[in-house]
Amino acid sequence: MLSLSLKEIKFFKLRYILIGFILFFVASLVFIISGLANGLANDNASSMKNMNAVSYYVSKDSENRMDRSRFAATDAEKISNANAQPLGIQMFTLKNKKSDKKLDVTMMTVNPEQFLMPSVTEGKTISKSSKNEVVADITLQKEGAKLGDELYDENTKTTLKIVGFTENQTYSHTPTVIMNNNSWYSIFGGKENAGFNAIALSDTHASTKADVKDAIKDGKFVEKDALIKTIPGYEAEQSSLMMMLAFLIVIAVFVLGAFFYIMTIQKVNQFGILKAIGAKNKFLIGSTMLQVFILSVVSIGLAIGFAFVLQQIMPNGIPFVFDFKLILQFGGALLVVSLLGALFSTTSIVKADPLQAMGRAE
Amino acid sequence: MITPLKLVDVNKQFKDGDRQIEILKNLNLTVEKGEFVAVIGPSGSGKSTVLSIAGALQSSDSGQVLINGRDISGYSDKEKSLVRLKSIGYIFQAANLVPFLNVRDQLKLVTELAGEWNDDAKKRADDLLESVGLTSKAKKAVQHLSGGEKQRVAIARAFMNNPELILADEPTAALDASRSREIVGLIAQEVHDKNKAAVMVTHDESVLDFCDKVYEMHDGGLRLRK
Repeated sequence: MLSLSLKEIKFFKLRYILIGFILFFVASLVFIISGLANGLANDNASSMKNMNAVSYYVSKDSENRMDRSRFAATDAEKISNANAQPLGIQMFTLKNKKSDKKLDVTMMTVNPEQFLMPSVTEGKTISKSSKNEVVADITLQKEGAKLGDELYDENTKTTLKIVGFTENQTYSHTPTVIMNNNSWYSIFGGKENAGFNAIALSDTHASTKADVKDAIKDGKFVEKDALIKTIPGYEAEQSSLMMMLAFLIVIAVFVLGAFFYIMTIQKVNQFGILKAIGAKNKFLIGSTMLQVFILSVVSIGLAIGFAFVLQQIMPNGIPFVFDFKLILQFGGALLVVSLLGALFSTTSIVKADPLQAMGRAE
Repeated sequence: MITPLKLVDVNKQFKDGDRQIEILKNLNLTVEKGEFVAVIGPSGSGKSTVLSIAGALQSSDSGQVLINGRDISGYSDKEKSLVRLKSIGYIFQAANLVPFLNVRDQLKLVTELAGEWNDDAKKRADDLLESVGLTSKAKKAVQHLSGGEKQRVAIARAFMNNPELILADEPTAALDASRSREIVGLIAQEVHDKNKAAVMVTHDESVLDFCDKVYEMHDGGLRLRK
């Protein structure tokens, strides 16, 4: 059956190559869009996604949005559980004193000695006692920032010095600039006036939750995924790309189904002849499905390779992340889709009449 | 000795618009081993219908169709396809070869459908190709063969699974006169050499001298021509 399928593909090269190309381009588009969705998600929320927290405590009236939630610093400091850490996030425009360039960043405050602090990949980290020193996301380097550069906030006349860089810490498409609570307080006019956006929890033990609730009454616990979805723009980006993906896959079922159907219709006479000389439906359906399987695996495989190469040559400005596991999942879905499309046409194999072989035309 | 083909009181009706046409009426036919039988008659007389019923390609309305002594009229489609595969070899008007296989693979295919492509089968294929004179073209694609050569491949394919019954449906319709005699002569030679039963439907009077018996279609039945 296998050699028969291969011989037929080899003989009718052109038609199989044409269908293969359709599948290849559909698969490539699916992988590119999923790569972009992934890239955008990372660009938007990598700091949240990579944070070692599982749950967050936010204000009751915040609609699960971190930027709308606020706790007074004095209240947050009352929490004495190490598994619950205050987290502050605030968008700012800072000026790089060296290059005079204005930079959009997200300032973030964490306790550098606790679980929220990401590891530093370049330079040194900050400590609890650092004064106006920050660790910035590596994407800030694309804006020309270097170790030792000083960032100036014109509103509060604060100068922050970059002592280290970290990776995959962006929020709302801007690099984060991470500092300790003391620096945070000094920017916002002292501990009495400053606030945090959320309390991050590294576990979901009842005791941890109780400690948080004892210190701050007016809040609720939200899962990490729910909080990521409410980052401005995140849901809009992801859902529109996911809609494209869903449509692409549905389109693929019908386009491939139509092509396989035409191809099978064209072969009805041949199926009739083969049935007349004793081939069973099972054999004919099997060899047709096998052909579609071979064709799909080759096309999808090439598309995976293409997406991989594309990632290497894609300009830095386009957030494109090749997630092999996700791409394999989509590839598997496309394989199922193309087999499903081929399944439509098997009815015409069953219907092919062996008596056709007695027909008067070749 | 088991009779390869026996039709007993076979009836078949077709619907033509509102009318029912009785195309076969209580038709009887027996073909013994080593016998090459021709069925002739004008078009529309039902000779191809006889062949398709004998060949398990369609069912009769009533009567018995005995192939190797077994009545196949009540068989399911699956059982019929097995009968077609193992007990019957077909030669059609058009050679009806598989376009993407070479000459030898045409024979290989029917063996693979029936079971194993083993040394035995390989030898049988080579012998058959030799007897139809195509040994030198065994690896050729069928699209490069002439009409006569294609029909030779079809003959070899019909004998490949060693069936007891060979059915030929106007095997010479697409060939010129000299080729026609060559092809029918070849079928006759193979049938007699291998002691098979064969039925050929034709309207070509010039090839009937190869046949042991000639039947004419007459009023829905068969009449032996003296």
